[in-house]
Amino acid sequence: MGSISFRNVDKVFGHGAGGVKALDDINLEIADKEFVAIVGPSGCGKTTCLRMVAGFEAASAGSVLVNGRPVTAPGPDRAVVFQQFALFPWKTVRENIELGLRNKNLPIGERNDLVAGALKLMNLETHVDAFPHQLSGGMQQRVAIARAYVLDPEVLLMDEPFGALDAQTRVVMQEELVRLARHNPRTVLFITHAVEEAVYLADRVAIMTRRPGRIKEVLDIKAVRERENWDSHARIEDVMDLESFVHLRTHIWKSLREEKGFKDV
Amino acid sequence: MAPLVSRKTLIGGMTVIGLVALWFGLTTLTGLVTGARFPSPAEFWFSLKQINGRGYAGSTLASHAVHSLKLVLMGFTVAVMTGVPLGLWMGWSRRVEAFINPVFLIIRPIPPLAWIPLAILWLGLGDAAKILVIWFSAFVPSAINAFTGVRNIDKPVLEAARMLGTPRWRMVREVILPASLPMIFTGLRLSLQASWTTLVAAELVGALVGVGFVLNMAQQDIYPGMILVGMVTVGILGWATTVLLARIERRALAWNVAARD
Ligand SMILES: Nc1ncnc2c1ncn2[C@@H]1O[C@H](COP(=O)(O)OP(=O)(O)OP(=O)(O)O)[C@@H](O)[C@H]1O
Ligand SMILES: [Mg+2]
Repeated sequence: MGSISFRNVDKVFGHGAGGVKALDDINLEIADKEFVAIVGPSGCGKTTCLRMVAGFEAASAGSVLVNGRPVTAPGPDRAVVFQQFALFPWKTVRENIELGLRNKNLPIGERNDLVAGALKLMNLETHVDAFPHQLSGGMQQRVAIARAYVLDPEVLLMDEPFGALDAQTRVVMQEELVRLARHNPRTVLFITHAVEEAVYLADRVAIMTRRPGRIKEVLDIKAVRERENWDSHARIEDVMDLESFVHLRTHIWKSLREEKGFKDV
Repeated sequence: MAPLVSRKTLIGGMTVIGLVALWFGLTTLTGLVTGARFPSPAEFWFSLKQINGRGYAGSTLASHAVHSLKLVLMGFTVAVMTGVPLGLWMGWSRRVEAFINPVFLIIRPIPPLAWIPLAILWLGLGDAAKILVIWFSAFVPSAINAFTGVRNIDKPVLEAARMLGTPRWRMVREVILPASLPMIFTGLRLSLQASWTTLVAAELVGALVGVGFVLNMAQQDIYPGMILVGMVTVGILGWATTVLLARIERRALAWNVAARD
């Protein structure tokens, strides 16, 4: 189980006159095993939404629920891929990925198997014993994804996880994520600036307004994907050429364009 | 072809040779500086032979040096073993900081050397008084830098550890401690310097053995050659312990690029 609910959520940073309202009456229900992407102008509060589900930030009003219970603290049931990686610089790639499993007290054999699987998945096998500073930005990001993925969490919270990847690696990772999402579905809250990525990956896409962020519109991608049978196309570029895909993408783009000051697509 | 010695070593070597030549020139050669003020190389050599053979101020140079080194290492260890954990704890808990900070604020303006009379009064001229004073002086840099180290930890890294469900003690050992290690080592270096400074001062004031005691006796005997022997010995010992600490630091911080050069 891993449903997420935002109910009338406000978030204000600071107090009184100096306070900044980041989120305004956010309402969003994410079902168990649903993949929802959030897009929106820079600074509209996407990361703040994700941090509230993760348990790093409390709502100023309203409630954030996971499985119907209010979020109180961070925990491995809600794995986070941070926008800035947040790897442990003094731990090797393996040690970074392993820590969450050690905290779960998994037997060493099982732990090694899971780590090996994650390393293979993220194509990191050649850098097992490297320290983060010895890796490129893209590789660091893959370690961050592996560290979250290996926990097999109910809820996966990804904050622009592919932002630092080059175009080719990005496509590979996107295809990989889709494959995983279909085989072993789990609840994913995914933040991105890339509209195509959102449409390609998500079951639903939530579009936010500029600050103070509100949910402007939620698009049901899954219905279109199933109706138009996107999954019959193996390659991402074939999907992106489909008329139904282009239509959704353009719709989101226009919607974002309406948000004045939006320059980040 | 690569040169046999690096440019840096070459220049450094020339500086040393130049200084020795200057020393020789000012004393033995021209007599501009008389032996009553500063010893000539020959007088220095004579003093060195004397303290190594017959001994001076009660024993040979080696046993004075070993005694001082032992006290420094003991005082330094006690200071670090108490200062670093306290600093980490203060960094981690605002409540502990609020509790202990006033003590720091009161004690810090007192120069560590000002504790020497009290320490001698309490513990006499023996080793215990020296270790106590070293502890007082070397404790503060260790604690403050460990504290700063914790406060400067990258917040997302702490959040990542919490997200992964890291239990309390592992959090300290595998996240907080390594994350603040670069700052902790800065503190250790300052603590080591403070240890030597304090020990020599304490031995100057009152001791029965040790390099500072050699300096004290040589001053009373108006014996410049032996004073220089004492000074050089302290310099070499301080340098050697610093190099050792730097080695350990480089090992411990292999993951840290900034510490590499
Ligand atoms: N800890 C904080 N204290 C004060 N203001 C904050 C804090 N965190 C975020 N904000 C503000 O809240 C707003 C939303 O920030 P948030 O990081 O959620 O935006 P975002 O949509 O993730 O932006 P980006 O796309 O650039 O990552 C911003 O205006 C930001 O300045
Ligand atoms: Mg963000």
